[in-house]
Amino acid sequence: MNTFKRIAVTAFAVAALGVGAASLAAAQDAPQGNATNGKRIFLADGCFTCHGRSGQGGAYNGPAPILAHTALPFDGFKGQLRNPADDMPAFSEAVLSDKDVADIYAFVQSLPGPSSPKDIAILNN
Amino acid sequence: MPKRRQSPDASRRNFLKGAGLVGAAAAVTAPVAATAMPAVPAEKLKAALPGPRQVAAETMPPGNDPVNQSTSGGDFMTDVLNSLGIEYMAINCASSYRGLHEAIVNHGNNKPEIITCVHEDIAVHMAQGYAKIEGKPMAMACHGVVGLQHATMAMYNAWCDRVPVLVVGGNIMEADKRAPGAEWVHAGVDIGQIVREFTKWDDQPASLQHFAESAVRAYKIATTPPMGPVFLSLDAELQENPIPDAESLRIPKFVPVTPPQGDPAAIAQAAKMLVEAQNPVIVCDRMARTPAGMANLVELAETLQCAVIDNAGRMNFPSRHPLNQSFRRAMIGQADVILAIEMNDLWGTLTHFSDRIVRKSRPAYKSDTKIVTLGVRDLYLKSNYQDFGRWQDVDLDIAGDGEASLPALTEAAKRLIDDGRKAAYAERGKKLAAAHLAMVERSKTDATIGWDASPITTARMCAEVYNQIKDEDWSVVGTAIRLSWMHRLWDFKKPYQWNGVSGGSGVGYNLPASLGAALANKKHGRFTLAFGGDGDFMFNPGALWTAAHHKIPILYIVHNNRAYHQEYMYLVAMAARHGRGVDKMDIGTTIKDPNIDYATVARGMGAHGEGPITDPKDLAPALTRAIAAVKAGGPAVVDVVTDPR
Repeated sequence: MNTFKRIAVTAFAVAALGVGAASLAAAQDAPQGNATNGKRIFLADGCFTCHGRSGQGGAYNGPAPILAHTALPFDGFKGQLRNPADDMPAFSEAVLSDKDVADIYAFVQSLPGPSSPKDIAILNN
Repeated sequence: MPKRRQSPDASRRNFLKGAGLVGAAAAVTAPVAATAMPAVPAEKLKAALPGPRQVAAETMPPGNDPVNQSTSGGDFMTDVLNSLGIEYMAINCASSYRGLHEAIVNHGNNKPEIITCVHEDIAVHMAQGYAKIEGKPMAMACHGVVGLQHATMAMYNAWCDRVPVLVVGGNIMEADKRAPGAEWVHAGVDIGQIVREFTKWDDQPASLQHFAESAVRAYKIATTPPMGPVFLSLDAELQENPIPDAESLRIPKFVPVTPPQGDPAAIAQAAKMLVEAQNPVIVCDRMARTPAGMANLVELAETLQCAVIDNAGRMNFPSRHPLNQSFRRAMIGQADVILAIEMNDLWGTLTHFSDRIVRKSRPAYKSDTKIVTLGVRDLYLKSNYQDFGRWQDVDLDIAGDGEASLPALTEAAKRLIDDGRKAAYAERGKKLAAAHLAMVERSKTDATIGWDASPITTARMCAEVYNQIKDEDWSVVGTAIRLSWMHRLWDFKKPYQWNGVSGGSGVGYNLPASLGAALANKKHGRFTLAFGGDGDFMFNPGALWTAAHHKIPILYIVHNNRAYHQEYMYLVAMAARHGRGVDKMDIGTTIKDPNIDYATVARGMGAHGEGPITDPKDLAPALTRAIAAVKAGGPAVVDVVTDPR
């Protein structure tokens, strides 16, 4: 498997999804989720395996996008879970209820996003 | 591995002494044969106490049968290997090549230097890693049947990676010379058969002169692009017995093959296409064979001011070069001409592939994009194993070694570039440089997420390591964190700072291949380091003993995510697809309960061990201690408990 190629394919798909989802769901409010339960599911159901425990992103067949403090609206987030645009597995209601999805969303929203690399000296070698 | 038990037939190694000796040998063997005559089941024969006749046969002097010899075929074989400049022979010792082994140690004064390995897979992988740093093969020796069976997966990795390795395996060709027991189950009519589908050439020499010519031929074939492993079956009698006619033996002259260059007319056509293109893109994989390769590619890219996408099968292109667009694959979709140099998987590189219920694919490039290939990979293929990948349509297919053909291509392009084009190219180069810089800055920002988390993020791990080795003359020779943070953030610019990956994706490559590369780097005084997965580590942990025994300095960082993580993700995908049990996919995919303490394992092998490191604040001091141990001349392992990717 070609790592770089996979990275590019998924990155493109994720970017496309983000733009589309933002325009479709920007006006919709996210349901109230339980971040604590969302963290439990995130770790138990394998979300962390691709996206990292801190939501820092990772890789499956290609890059798995950053979820920490995601700007993705809830409907876009849920849409990607139910009917992914790329190689990400589709999580149906049989394995993740809408409540579970809301909890996971609340968890990833609670994660701190990126900070300035200028504050971390060893990132500037 | 079972080794040959002591043979009661004291005459076996002296068969070639002459007919007069045969009679003496027969006299000695007769009692043994008589002892073995009764129809006793084999297992009972092994367990039974020796009778008086057998004791006599094993303890009495063998009459006129000679017990010493002044020459051996192994001596000549050693001379042949040394004539080829082979520095090392990695081995797991075995009786079927004891003649050669002893000859190397005594006649050759341990030249080639024996590298003791505890598994044949380690020995071959070491040779693979060594060749990719040193630019030439080392040898590996193994038992002919069971040892070669152990060696096969590593030989397959070397084959897929197009790396030269000279493998020799002992065998006893003549049935009437084999002792009872192990020598029969460890002999074969054609032992090379099991590796023939993934070696470039093999032979079973029947005489010493035959060996000499086949060894030189094997070396030449292995080192001629497309390179690959070769195998020689060495008859034990040939190794052990006296040289019957030394005056007639001759070591052939080795002259390396000049790598083939692309046809001049085709090179000129490619140059014209590249020069006239609006958005030419170069993709490459196993292009750089020598230190000249990277410089040649930089010159072509700068001449054209075009994007380079490096699949990093070798150290092809500097990571911080502004034209390096390896993390901007969308460039492929904008290209009007693609030059693909020494690609391993061209179709995979140029295709969007979907790993879903219905597997679909579509080109990543535009329908009118012209594709030019330059390389030698397809000049030598085999049928069974499918490492050649899927067919890719191209517009111009140039058979020629990439590195050797680049200077002619660059000169042809320069001749076609006028001042107007130069100005346009400069503008193109500025845009690419800005995009490269933006990618680097984005990567730094992404790396901050989870910076203080435990388990430690791979971004933090890589940053901490680089911070401590950046001022060394470093060479990173293994990765378990994909081509990610290192290639995005580290300054790769020297030909030996990277040497690619396993080739065949056979797990167990990283630790021993990194040691082989470290062995090559040792004499150059370079600081070798590698990242390896925990799963990979457990295939060949014994490699650390070899590193400690031979004092091979290497900093080995275990990316310990306590799982065969890619498989973990695949199982989650399968469960999600089936709508069931996504929370149970750690079964069979994780390496925990108990957690393995890799630092303790390392110390048990004689290496320095640090960890397990779970708090990122502890990582820097652990690395400092480990680096000091490496600088003292040995291997050091740092077990970093990490987030998955």
